Amino acid sequence: MKEEIISARKNLEETLRKITGFSIFVPEAKFFSMVCGCVGFASDLRGLLLASVEVSNDNIKNLLEDIANSLSIKPDIIYARKLPGSEEIVGLTARELCSRCKKEFSGDKPRPDIFVIKKVEER
Amino acid sequence: MSIPHPGHKYALERIISEARSNKNLNNIHEFYLAGPSDIVGSGRVTLYSPLITDLKEMADLAHEYKIEIDVVINPSCFGGTHLTPHGYNTILWYLNQLNNIGIDSITVAEPYIIELLNDFSMKTVVSCISMVNSPQRARFFENMGADVITLDPDINRDFKMLNAIKKSVSCDLRLMVNEGCLYKCPFRYSHFNLFSHVTTAGMKPPIFGDYYFDKCISIRVRDPEQIIKSPWIRPEDIKKYEEITPFFKITGRANTVSWIVNCMNIYCSGNYDGNLLEILDCPSELRDLYFIDNKKLEGCIDYWRDCDKLCIDCNYCKMVTNSALKVIDNERRDNKCKEES
Ligand code: SF4
Ligand SMILES: [Zn+2]
Ligand SMILES: [Zn+2]
Repeated sequence: MKEEIISARKNLEETLRKITGFSIFVPEAKFFSMVCGCVGFASDLRGLLLASVEVSNDNIKNLLEDIANSLSIKPDIIYARKLPGSEEIVGLTARELCSRCKKEFSGDKPRPDIFVIKKVEER
Repeated sequence: MSIPHPGHKYALERIISEARSNKNLNNIHEFYLAGPSDIVGSGRVTLYSPLITDLKEMADLAHEYKIEIDVVINPSCFGGTHLTPHGYNTILWYLNQLNNIGIDSITVAEPYIIELLNDFSMKTVVSCISMVNSPQRARFFENMGADVITLDPDINRDFKMLNAIKKSVSCDLRLMVNEGCLYKCPFRYSHFNLFSHVTTAGMKPPIFGDYYFDKCISIRVRDPEQIIKSPWIRPEDIKKYEEITPFFKITGRANTVSWIVNCMNIYCSGNYDGNLLEILDCPSELRDLYFIDNKKLEGCIDYWRDCDKLCIDCNYCKMVTNSALKVIDNERRDNKCKEES
């Protein structure tokens, strides 16, 4: 698991640099488990703007899906976290949701601080 | 040299012992630290809140080595509380306590407190947060009672202005050497105000994030030239500033003790071969992203000292960025980790 999370961080940083052309920085990446049952991959980010995420939505979605899969996570949702009202992206998360969070995170804009890259599938 | 102190006694003992073993004690004239946060906040992140009794112990220790102790009381915003009877009495009580335990000076940004300090024997040091960057402003503060003025680092590379201020006042001037903030940072006032509130007990708003911090890093990730334009002073260049003042201040009291010791040793030695970002007081993440070869910055100060900051007609800082700054990619990082282990 140690090797997987190390290469997940590197892969994310290198690929984002290629996709955006800026020296995007990923200071921290983590594999998390929450008390509600959600598990996932989360990273802190520097230098990424919402506009780049909008333009490269599919590339970033595929990248995060690959990284999540490498950690045996099947992400129901992938999102970028930003400060409400700001264009600055401070994190990217791929999260396999528990049943409660599945309801809470459905829709295009479940929370003001997140930009949804992959939507929760409605059932 | 004025040295940052995170506030716990262990730190002071360690800094003094390192300075002793490196024969740097003579270069140090002061340690500065924040006081108890339940009384007043400060303009920066504060990691530790000493009690008045702790401050006395530390003042006694510093005085054994003939080094002064400065307590910073420099929030840029008191939310008006200092002008209430309760606030006034609290500040006066606090200043009395500090005076009684032998604190040598107070660093302060709020003009009202500068005036209150006139009734005490402690020296009044005007904080960089007061943004003194012209003779006019320097004279205002001197007339209010300043014994020392810490100049706005934005003029660190404007020798004409530095000399003009020097000519205009008779109080001591102090230059900050390693603050890594953006030149003409648009967030400066707002960020200091935010810190002022979050470092004061009872005033802490439940914020959802530090917007200014995130922005400040992100701007430099996308445009590293901004790091070169920041008005830091290299250890080697301090001698060029001795025509202005003999007093220099290292910033970074929210960093680890080892970082402070390293910075102190390097600035005292006046020579550094390594990544400039290691000694700049700026978000530590940047050290893992960029390598700025300090030795390649030799001589830049001679260009900058007369630079009129009309960047639109000049490409000098871009050229310097291209030659001295490298993005640290994963391969480089892995090699560095191998070297260190
Ligand atoms: S004018 Fe030239 S040397 Fe001065 S800050 Fe701008 S780019 Fe740098
Ligand atoms: Zn959940
Ligand atoms: Zn305020």
